[in-house]
Formats: sequence, structure tokens, C-alpha cells
Amino acid sequence: MRPVNLLLIIQLAAGATILRVLLIIVVSILTGWLLAYASIKSSIFESIYIPVISSMESVPVITFFPVVLVIFVTRIGGPLGTELASDFLVMTAVVWNIWIAQYQSFKTVPKELQEVTINHELGFFSKMRRLYMPFSMPKIAANLFPSFADGLFYITVSEVFSIGTKSFSVFGIGSLIPRLVASGDMYYVWVAMLTLAAWVAIITFVFRYIARFSVAKYGLDTAAPIRRRGKVNIMHTYQAWNTLTGPMKRLSKHFTSTFRVLPTRGSFGRRWSALSSSRKYIMIGAFLFILIALLAEIALYVVSVPIGYWGYLISYTPLILYNMAFDYARVAIITLISLVIAIFVGYYLAVHQRAAVTVFPAIQIISAFPAPVYFPLVFAATFGYMYAVFPASSEIYVLFLGFISTFYYVFYSFWMGVQTIPSEFWEIMENHELGFFTRMRRIILPATFPYLVAGLSSTIDSAWGGLMIGEYWPDIFSGKTLEVHVGLMKMLDVFTYQGRIGLAAWSSLLFAIVVTIFSLFFTKKLMTMAREKYVIEEGVYAA
Amino acid sequence: MPIGAILSAVDISYIFPSGKEVFTGINISTGENEFVSIVGPSGIGKSTLLRTLGYLIPPTSGRVFLMGQEVKKPSSKISLIHQSIATFPWMTAIDNVKLALIGKGFSQDEMNDTARKTLETVGLKGAEGLYPKEMSGGMRQRVAIARALAGSPEVLLMDEPFVHLDELTAEGLRQEIYDILFNPLTTLKSVVLVSHNLDEVLELSDRVLIMNGSPAKIVDELIIEMPRPRSTRDSRFSAYLDKIYASLTPVR
Repeated sequence: MRPVNLLLIIQLAAGATILRVLLIIVVSILTGWLLAYASIKSSIFESIYIPVISSMESVPVITFFPVVLVIFVTRIGGPLGTELASDFLVMTAVVWNIWIAQYQSFKTVPKELQEVTINHELGFFSKMRRLYMPFSMPKIAANLFPSFADGLFYITVSEVFSIGTKSFSVFGIGSLIPRLVASGDMYYVWVAMLTLAAWVAIITFVFRYIARFSVAKYGLDTAAPIRRRGKVNIMHTYQAWNTLTGPMKRLSKHFTSTFRVLPTRGSFGRRWSALSSSRKYIMIGAFLFILIALLAEIALYVVSVPIGYWGYLISYTPLILYNMAFDYARVAIITLISLVIAIFVGYYLAVHQRAAVTVFPAIQIISAFPAPVYFPLVFAATFGYMYAVFPASSEIYVLFLGFISTFYYVFYSFWMGVQTIPSEFWEIMENHELGFFTRMRRIILPATFPYLVAGLSSTIDSAWGGLMIGEYWPDIFSGKTLEVHVGLMKMLDVFTYQGRIGLAAWSSLLFAIVVTIFSLFFTKKLMTMAREKYVIEEGVYAA
Repeated sequence: MPIGAILSAVDISYIFPSGKEVFTGINISTGENEFVSIVGPSGIGKSTLLRTLGYLIPPTSGRVFLMGQEVKKPSSKISLIHQSIATFPWMTAIDNVKLALIGKGFSQDEMNDTARKTLETVGLKGAEGLYPKEMSGGMRQRVAIARALAGSPEVLLMDEPFVHLDELTAEGLRQEIYDILFNPLTTLKSVVLVSHNLDEVLELSDRVLIMNGSPAKIVDELIIEMPRPRSTRDSRFSAYLDKIYASLTPVR
């Protein structure tokens, strides 16, 4: 390929990847508005929709990718099937927090404003355009950045994948870079990475602008000045770049904490009692119909699988659980390291605003730059030394990949939590000359607890993504394969790679059950505790 | 700096990062057992001035002294009570108060005893185990006052402390506050209050400083010579009120 053409292809590939992520975000926003409206209008819909999306948010969807791939590739097939498989994966990565943010916004529209729209008899489109959509903008803006970073992470790994002996790929920077690496032309690898970095920086900058604009224009009682439409003011743009921490601070109160507006217990019961008998019967009938259809489908599927095959799958269960335990240990290590660093760095940046102005944007851009793109280069540069010094270096690489894929979530959450601590409390800490550890133990950690729980949930989720990629990475660089000895994510990868999709699906199912139990008994409990006890805003009484 | 002053600010000024000069050339001093109030139009910089007195915001120029020692960092010797009542929602009343005692060399028992006594001083005996959300606004403000007093302050800075309370609760607390603050059990020597409520100011203060202008300055000073408890129906009360109004208007 001629160099000029290659440069052009790199630009187009980066553009295609970015466009994919942005289009998926747009689709998520559009569908989220409709679903959020449906959920505030129908308590029945809300009672199903909210638990489903909040559960889906806490399940690492990437682990189901092998199964999903097979469905798209075998049922649809061709380039469209491959494209949809990639897009579906990204959609599952970005959609939940945006949908929850939209639901939260719709649910918290002030009653007075709703009454105005009723008073003036506005129709559905008018209400959406003039009230609900604008009101949800700050919360959507707050979630754009994490969604973008998450989407980019997954799209770069899903643009090229293998099932059995067949390899599938779609056009994009994620599929181009491995080809460039394989051809050994490092100059073009760097060009590709720089191109992607430039895109990431531009998008980050645009998102920050959108964030500032939406909080200023659509936030209630915000101190941020409203920017009028008009020519782009270079000076303002420069100032915006230099005050990058500003939008994040203002956005902190719009950051999604799922559990804050989940329907209250009993609200379903009250609304149910208010329904007429005929509507109740229709709803019960519909519910039973769906349930029976679903059970029938499952039963048919179970029956269609030979009993011997079920035995074969079940015989693998102890091995799967053993591998899963190893991965939980890895996730725990990654989460702990991320948490400690997030707390110390986050606190330092929160109390050193000058440092935050430079460090924060840098961290944000790096975090959006997908780890799977640059990780092979880190591996290439270090593996000779690492394996010579420490033969079990694969473990370190996998933990490192998990860390760089996930650290940012808990860091942002903590930082945003720190920003929500009212100035009165900072003054009390200063006034009583509290030391660092006292501040942390008694005030900052409890005050940021709801944010930490939300951030940890995302961190754990993304750590699985990092493990999924890192535990088995054939031909990561120059024919080398990065792999660990034991790990469920490696098993999933290997099963898919070998075309043993039944085992991959069985492993995914077991994993989903464990994750759901973990979510129900651990994450949800922590979230409930956070909601009941650690809401810092309740500490300031202003009648 | 006047000899014997408890808190004194010498020629302090403050300029916002945007470049706007908020106040300039401010000289304030408070005496032993003196209750000083600062009044002025909205947005003139009273709360900022109060925070510079406690060094929670360092003044752009000028110096602040506490009993002759220059103040160079925030300290629990100069304690601030906020306009928005700030109590930690995950701490009980007693834990909120104990916060002021941490790291000061007290044992756990001593901290409990001191916190309990301070809560008793502010009229919250029996409410030690309550969380803020289980208390009324008035009770929460008493907890905040107890926390400030528990740190053994020499000076208390109060930023509109009653503004978020209903009138009945505020009036009740106002009637008690002077005795609570200048109780022999407390270490307090001076109080500086910022308020918009002129009745409140006259009811409590020994001296009133009036801020006006842009950048703001102390434009007048009024010594209130009325016995306590004071009544708004007292003719002298109205006369003082008129004097304050005269200094506050026109808003400059």
C-alpha cells in the first residue's frame, strides 16, 4: 500500500471508529428519551424497566460477547452481522448510564414546570421538546464522557474477533492497528495512535463544552453564565480549556447515581391498587402470556439440547467456578489498587485546584484513549525484560491491563463526590484543624461513599472487560501470546476461539448468575446503605 | 492593633480572583466578652470579611491578630458558625460535637464528657444519640454551636446563624444565645456576628459595625448601651434602628 493512501486510510479508520461510537451514543440518547417518558407515564413499565437497566448496568456485558457474536454472525452473517455485533457490544457498554440519567432527569422534573405544560395543554412532542429533553441535558452531558470512553474501549476490541478458525473484522482503527503491528511498520502504528489520540482530545474538548453549555443553559439555578449563540470566541475557548475542571465540578451533581431515584418501595403497590379491576386483569394476562412464552422458549431450547450434552456442560462447572474464583481475586486486587490511588490522587487534586487544572484534563484524555490500542506497545517494549526478571509476568500484565482499563471510573466518581462536599464542611475541617486521616475517615470517605459505591461498581464491571481481553491475547506482538494459566475470561476466549460455543455460553450463564448474586447481596446493599446514611447534601440545612 | 483586643484586623482588604475589590482598609477589633455585629447591604462582602477574620479566606492584604498573635492559618480558636446549618448526616449529635476534639490529645472518655457537657450547655441534653435528620432546624443549629464551642474557641464568628430557622425558633435561640456563649464554662471571649436582621443585631450586640460602599468599608460604628434582655418595644431600640438605617442608606 502506498504511504499516502495508508495515511488516508488511517484517518478514515479513526473517523469510522469514532463515528460508530458517537452514532451509538446518539441512538442511546434518542431511545432513552422515549423509554424514560414511558417509564414516568406507566408505573408498570417503570417497575420492569428500572430494575432491568440497573441490573444490566452492573453486569459486565462483554462476557456475553462470544455468545452474542455467534448470534449476529450466524443469524445475520456477512459484513452487516459483523458490524451489528460490534455495534451491539458498544451499545451495551454505553447505553445503561445514559438511560438511567435520562430516567432520573424525567423523574425529577419540578412539579411546577410540569403543571405549566399541563396548563398550556402541550402535546407529547411539545412537552418533550420544551421540558423533558432540555431538563435532561445536564445529566446526559455528565454521562457523555464516561460513555464515550467505555464505548471506545470496547469498539477497538470488537472491530476484529475470531470464532473458531474464522476471523471477522469491520473497518476501523481497532482492526487496522493490529494489521499495522503485524506488518511491523511501527511508524504507521504511531501515526494511527496519534490520530486516535487527536480525535480523543477533540471529542473530550467538545464534550466539555457541551457539559458547560448544558449546565449553564438547562440546569436549574446554576451560577454558571449562559453562553449565547454566536461566533466562537477563541479567548473563551482557551479559557474553557484552562478551566477544564469547572464543568466537571458543576456536573458532579448531575452524575448518575442509579440508586438515588429508583422507584420507592411501595410506589408500585399504591399505583397497582389505584388501577381498575379490568386493567388489572389485562395486565396480569399480558404478564402471564409473556412469562409462559418465555418459559416455553427456554423449555424448547433445553429439550433441544441432548441430555448427554447437558451432562458434559455440568461436568465443567467445578472447573468454571475454580477459574471464576481466580478472576474474582484479580478483580479484587485491581479494584483495591484503583481505589487507593483514586482516593489519594483524587483528594490531592481536589485540594490543589491549580494542579487539577492541568492534571485532570490529561487524565481524562488518557482515560478515553482505549487501553487495548496502546497496551500491545507497552507489552512489546517491556516483555523481554519482564519475563527475564519475573517469569510469571503474564499475571502482572493482565492486572496492569485491568487497572488501566478501569482505574478512571472510581477516580472520577471519587473526585466528583469530593466536589459535592459543601464548602461549609471544608471550612469545618479547616476550622477544627483536622488531620488528613481524620478528614478521610470521618468526613471525606463517608461523604463520597455513594459516589465510591457507584464508581466501584463500574470499576469492577470494567475490570472484567480488561481481563476478558488480557487473559488470552493471541499474537499480541510478534507472534507472542499473552495468557494466564487460570481464569474464567481466558476460558471464555479459548472456548470461543476453539468454536466450543456451548461451553462458552454455559460459562457465561454461570458467570451471570454469580454476578447477579454478587450485585444483589453486595452492591445493592452498599447502595442502600449509601442512600440511607451517607447523603452529604442532607447535612446542610437551609430552609 | 488596640491593646487588650481579643481579635483584631488591621487594614485588611480582599480582592476576588476576578479582580473585583470586595472591601478595603478594614480595621476591626473586639474586646473581652464583647459581642460585635457587622451589618451592610446584600452582596457587600460581609460573609467574606467574616471568613478573612478566621483566615478561612486569607485577606489579600492586611493582617489579623488573635490576642496579639498573628493569625496565619485557620484555627479552632476562631470558630465559624455557618449560615446554612452544617451537620454531618452520618454522625449523631455527640459525634458531630466530638469532631472538634479529635487530635487535641483527649481520651475517648474525655471527648464524650466534653461533648455531652457542651450539648447540655446549648440545651440538647438527651439528644446526644440523634442524627441530624431526626432533629429540627433549631436543634441542628444548636449542635453546630456546640461543635464550635467544644473546640474551646476564643472567638466565635457567626454568619447569619438564625436565617434558616423559623421566627419562633430563631427568637427562642436568640434569647438564649448570649447566655450560652458567654457562659463561664466556655472559653469564649468575643463574638462577631454578620446579619441582615437588624432587630437581631440590636438584641444581641454590644457594638455594631456598618459596612457600605464599593469596595466596602466600615462607614459607621454604633455602641449599643441598653441593658439585657432587650425589647424591640424599648424607645431606645427604635432610635438605634433609625441610626443604623441612616448609615445603610443609600446603598453605595
